[in-house]
Amino acid sequence: MSLVVGVDIGNSTTEACAARLTGNGIEFLGSGLVPTTGTKGTTANVDGVEAAVRAALRTTRAPLGELARVFVNEATPVISGLAMETITETLITESTMIGHDPRTPGGAGLGVGITVPFAALDECSPGEAVIAVVPAGVDFAVAAKGLEAALERGVGLRGAVLGNDDAVLVANRISRVIPIVDEVRLVDAVPAGMTAAVEVASPGRTIRTLSNAYGIAGLFSLDADQTRAISPVARALTGIRSAVVVRTPSGEVSDRRIPAGTLELRGGSAVLRIDVGEGAEAIMAAVGRVAPLDDASGEAGTNVGGMTAAVKQNMADVCGLEVAQVRIGDLLAVDTFVPQEVRGGLAGEVALENAVALATMVRTSHGPMRQVARAIAERLRREGAPDVEVVIGGVEAEMATRGALTTPGTDRPLVVLDLGGGSTDAALAGADGTVTTVHLAGAGDLVTRLIASELGVERDVAENVKRSPLARAESFFHLRLEDGTVRFFGEPLPPTVFARVVALTEQGLVPIPTRHSVDRVRDVRRTAKQRVFVVNALRALARVAPYRDLRQIGFVVLLGGSALDFEIPELIADALAPYGIVCGTGNVRGSEGPRNAVASGLVLAQGGP
Amino acid sequence: MATAVVPPGISLREIGTAGRGVRPDEVVLALSPGFAGFFTKTIVDIPHAEVVRQILAGVEEQGVHARVVQLHATADLAAVAHTGARLSGSGIGIGVLSRGTTMIHQKDLPRLSSLELFPQSPLMTPEIYRAIGRNAAQYAKGDSPQPVPTLNDQMARPRWQAKAALLHLKECELLVKGAPATEVDPVIEDPA
Amino acid sequence: MSSLPYPEAPQPRRSLRTEVLENRPVNKDGFVQEWPEVGMVAMDSDFDPRPSIRIENGRVAEMDGRERADFDFLDQFIADHAIDVDAAVEAMALGPRTVARMLVDPNVSRAEVLRTARGLTPAALLETVRQMNIVEIMMGMQKMRARRTPANQAHCTSARDNPLQVAMEAAEASLRGFSELETTLGVVRYAPLVAIALQVGGQVGRGGRLTQCALEEATELDLGMRGITAYAETISVYGTESVFVDGDDTPWSKAFLAAAYASRGIKMRFTSGTGSEVQMGNAEGRSMLYLEIRCILVTKGAGVQGLQNGSISCIGVPGAVPGGIRAVAAENMIASMLDLECASGNDQSFSHSPMRRTSRLMPQIMAGTDFVCSGYSSTPNYDNMFAGSNVDAEDYDDWNAIQRDYQIDGGLQHVGEPEILAARSRAGYALQAVFAHLDLPAITEREIETAVYAHGSNDLIPRDVLEDLKGAQSVMDRGVTGLDLVKALHERGFADIAENLLTVLRSRVSGDLLQTSAILDANLEPLSAVNDANDYAGPGTGYRPTGERWEQMKRLRHVTSAENPELEVS
Repeated sequence: MSLVVGVDIGNSTTEACAARLTGNGIEFLGSGLVPTTGTKGTTANVDGVEAAVRAALRTTRAPLGELARVFVNEATPVISGLAMETITETLITESTMIGHDPRTPGGAGLGVGITVPFAALDECSPGEAVIAVVPAGVDFAVAAKGLEAALERGVGLRGAVLGNDDAVLVANRISRVIPIVDEVRLVDAVPAGMTAAVEVASPGRTIRTLSNAYGIAGLFSLDADQTRAISPVARALTGIRSAVVVRTPSGEVSDRRIPAGTLELRGGSAVLRIDVGEGAEAIMAAVGRVAPLDDASGEAGTNVGGMTAAVKQNMADVCGLEVAQVRIGDLLAVDTFVPQEVRGGLAGEVALENAVALATMVRTSHGPMRQVARAIAERLRREGAPDVEVVIGGVEAEMATRGALTTPGTDRPLVVLDLGGGSTDAALAGADGTVTTVHLAGAGDLVTRLIASELGVERDVAENVKRSPLARAESFFHLRLEDGTVRFFGEPLPPTVFARVVALTEQGLVPIPTRHSVDRVRDVRRTAKQRVFVVNALRALARVAPYRDLRQIGFVVLLGGSALDFEIPELIADALAPYGIVCGTGNVRGSEGPRNAVASGLVLAQGGP
Repeated sequence: MATAVVPPGISLREIGTAGRGVRPDEVVLALSPGFAGFFTKTIVDIPHAEVVRQILAGVEEQGVHARVVQLHATADLAAVAHTGARLSGSGIGIGVLSRGTTMIHQKDLPRLSSLELFPQSPLMTPEIYRAIGRNAAQYAKGDSPQPVPTLNDQMARPRWQAKAALLHLKECELLVKGAPATEVDPVIEDPA
Repeated sequence: MSSLPYPEAPQPRRSLRTEVLENRPVNKDGFVQEWPEVGMVAMDSDFDPRPSIRIENGRVAEMDGRERADFDFLDQFIADHAIDVDAAVEAMALGPRTVARMLVDPNVSRAEVLRTARGLTPAALLETVRQMNIVEIMMGMQKMRARRTPANQAHCTSARDNPLQVAMEAAEASLRGFSELETTLGVVRYAPLVAIALQVGGQVGRGGRLTQCALEEATELDLGMRGITAYAETISVYGTESVFVDGDDTPWSKAFLAAAYASRGIKMRFTSGTGSEVQMGNAEGRSMLYLEIRCILVTKGAGVQGLQNGSISCIGVPGAVPGGIRAVAAENMIASMLDLECASGNDQSFSHSPMRRTSRLMPQIMAGTDFVCSGYSSTPNYDNMFAGSNVDAEDYDDWNAIQRDYQIDGGLQHVGEPEILAARSRAGYALQAVFAHLDLPAITEREIETAVYAHGSNDLIPRDVLEDLKGAQSVMDRGVTGLDLVKALHERGFADIAENLLTVLRSRVSGDLLQTSAILDANLEPLSAVNDANDYAGPGTGYRPTGERWEQMKRLRHVTSAENPELEVS
């Protein structure tokens, strides 16, 4: 009868499982979970291992001195990298349009006239159709008085463009309802003496004429070629409440693709080069064509190049290898968008530009595990386990499937999906006892990155969005949760969350600094998880499934930190349902949840057949 | 400061005892006892007329209604702002002291808390007052405004600390124990 | 948005001299008239109480014209805990002028003054210092200071809360002579990392510097109990009941907190200062100094060893009234006269005028106090997270020249650049090792290299704040203590720094830092009013910089060699 501990050194946590091996089986004693110290697979792990072993023994008060063997997994260091490339750009030349969406435009309707600077309004003749352009230096009372004076003289004032946030104030102080667009930051750059149209929709509606290419053509009497040229303007003005279009001789709006650098994908049979600007779908198709991927590298001097080089360097440092020996084992591209200010815009217009996010993964088959094992043995012997031996107990994936199979209700063939921070790992335990594994790039960190860029928030905010359901604090005494239900509070909520979208984190309510609605934030969160975890689950299963047929897999067990997420397991299960797969979060040994699978597997491997 | 300016006038025409508003789309601006009376400008000489005008403009631009009240029994900023919030149909109030210190409050909050606080009177500008009016109106509409950035200046202490204390003490002298808040109509000289 | 088009009034013609004077920095300072009725007055007010005392049955029955039945809670706390009823009648009978003369008379010993002072009421203490001009107040300070050797305290903060910067500033400040190092935060959640950095940096080189992290009371106490900091200072007391109550506190609650620190052997002092009550509009018609004296007596009554006073964050208020800075010097002196350690202010931005900034220092730097500044900014003021100090890193050479001019010891000395670079670099590597050992976000070589040569946070490589904050949280969650820092330093090859830190932690167990005015000397032995008691007794006695210390103080950045005037020595 001997006391043993299985230890799994993971990227972020180190888990341990203590047991007694007796003649007739295994008696599990307890588990431990501590943060991993240092990079996985290096001697810096020893502190974490010691802590995990102590924690596992503490649950049953088994003495450290009796410890006979410690089994560690053959840890394969996995290092991942992320990069994002913006691939489109919206460009306005010669100030043809002001399509921004000030919160409070004034008046309503559509007006067409010649642009006139506010100071020159006095010089306009009665009957002349004009659009007044009021610089930011003019007080709202002064502006209103000037516009009113022009109206009284019979000038055909059809609309106004203001620098200040004064549209409602001015509209309330003049006698006729005209459309007024405000907060035009670079109002001084609006050209004078040009025909322009101003449109403001009533609250709750969007503009109809300036967002329609033929509407603009009608207003400015354009021919077919000119209408074709102006159509991007109309497209850019869709869905907003107010806009200005100025007809300038050569102004235009263009969607431009930015050269984003190329990616070289090397596979067993072919080498493919692909421009990142072609988007995620094209990149993933290329990855599929070269499969299995041997290595990838980005064009030097581009973001992609920098990222692939950094990932390789990092791995080389960890394993003491030459950079040239390090290979990128997988790559995941995801289409995303980044809100960016339009170049050439006058009012800080923002366009959603297309971008591609890339995750890469590097692994080596042999970490310096022997050294780590020796260091663990030395430490534990010094700390009071004189007879301990440390044994490299088996391949991680195999151990994980062994542990996962202790989840009640599972059987072979079974796939373990380990959803981590940097990579998504899968292992198939076939009916015949064989184990097939795959490591894929892209996991929790990429989800955070997508949320951050699409919402335009900091990474820590995105982290909170990712981990927790949302709500909005509608008063100091109630929250409306993202599913529409209401939660009441007896004590007033803190003022920092009032009227804001909040994440319901374990540490309490965290305000999300954003103008987006709960629905929008939720949508971004869920699609980010879809694009990473669901896509990777399907990719991984296709790679390990017998005959690449997902229907041959009976059970999928989710493990790892992200398996504890409040919605990822459900998203994956939904996606797998059509294949007749039973999918759920693991419950190792019927008690540990999605934790401790490898550590338990290491122990089981000793006692079992 | 080389140029002396003649500030535009403001007078607070008293309408009667201030009551609780019923319109859900209103913000109440609550002024301290000496505002636009014993005092005519803030600690950095912004005319009180301009303070009120900018706050009201900020509210109006959002399409929200504003009422103005004056307190007589307290010059404590939190109490002034909280009284305004409790009188407001939307529950949102703005409190302003004569020296310029300002706070946005909500009726359900504890008095000593606040939605937004601008404690450094010497650093206030007309633009900040406009933004305060805007934000208060947005809270009233149920929007989520970004808080107005607050400024800081290490050398404000030697220059303004004692004067701020003096202004506060002076305003405290004007207190009338137990006097109810009055609703007022601010009559401001139009600069145009 | 621009200002309104108001009409401009015509301006009378001004002399060019007036224009020059108008533009002098001093005219950016605020000055106000006195208004004694509401307490806007430094120390000469007809509305302050007159001294009196009546003892009945061994208890104070009446104090300063007020019957016990009418006492507010400060009166009660002072009467019951701060005034020695056995000494009171005799002391009060001497009269303010006699006590004032005892303070300046070299023939009256410090011990004799202490015996008298313990029997004086707040009004009697006020009347005593009202007899004294600024030079006499300085003479009183020179004699009454608790520790014989003066010292100084530094603020080590970073506008970006960068722990690496704080560690290096701490190491440099230690080398320059500061005995205590205080930090605080912009982002409070950063506190554990910055406090660790300060502690590590403060033990580089000769080490033994005592560190503090100013935070809300619960977290400050927690860091102290873990041994990540060595002392506490920001426990505020006030001179009127209403201000106390506004902060949800009483003298008893503060005394309880003080006991919590003492129970773990952690050094602590209270904080108070003239002007805070009138600033909050609750001076109850008393002068600033009268109210401050009540704070000093509450401190005494709570059994705390020391006090940080000298107006502190309200310095703009006494600084603006006539005689205000004299009152500030008097409040420091009274703290010393009650046998409290005095960390004597000079720690907040005080004036736009370099002349006024210097003159502000004179009473404390010339007389010598336990800590001349209770925060000299060891960074440029833009990095000072206490809202700026009266003196900062750019004033070091001026300070050293003033010490040398008058042969007075303000606790600092000139240090050559190579030594400073070496200390900063060692602090950087030590912190890098500690972070690595505790699995906190890595500090890179490039960060260290940049920070060694930096002046302030603008020159640094920004850190990944999110990762740092996660690390900071894990320090709290994992229960990291000062001993973990010792282990980390020891195992990573910084045995000397580990040894210094262990000595600081050990002195908590022995309770040595609970003695009045305790600091650690060059041998890391406690130096306090017990083993270094002030023995000033007139000309030719007491502390004066001599021998090795004076030689050290003679060095400046540029001094022309007498041996070879073509060379400079430094």
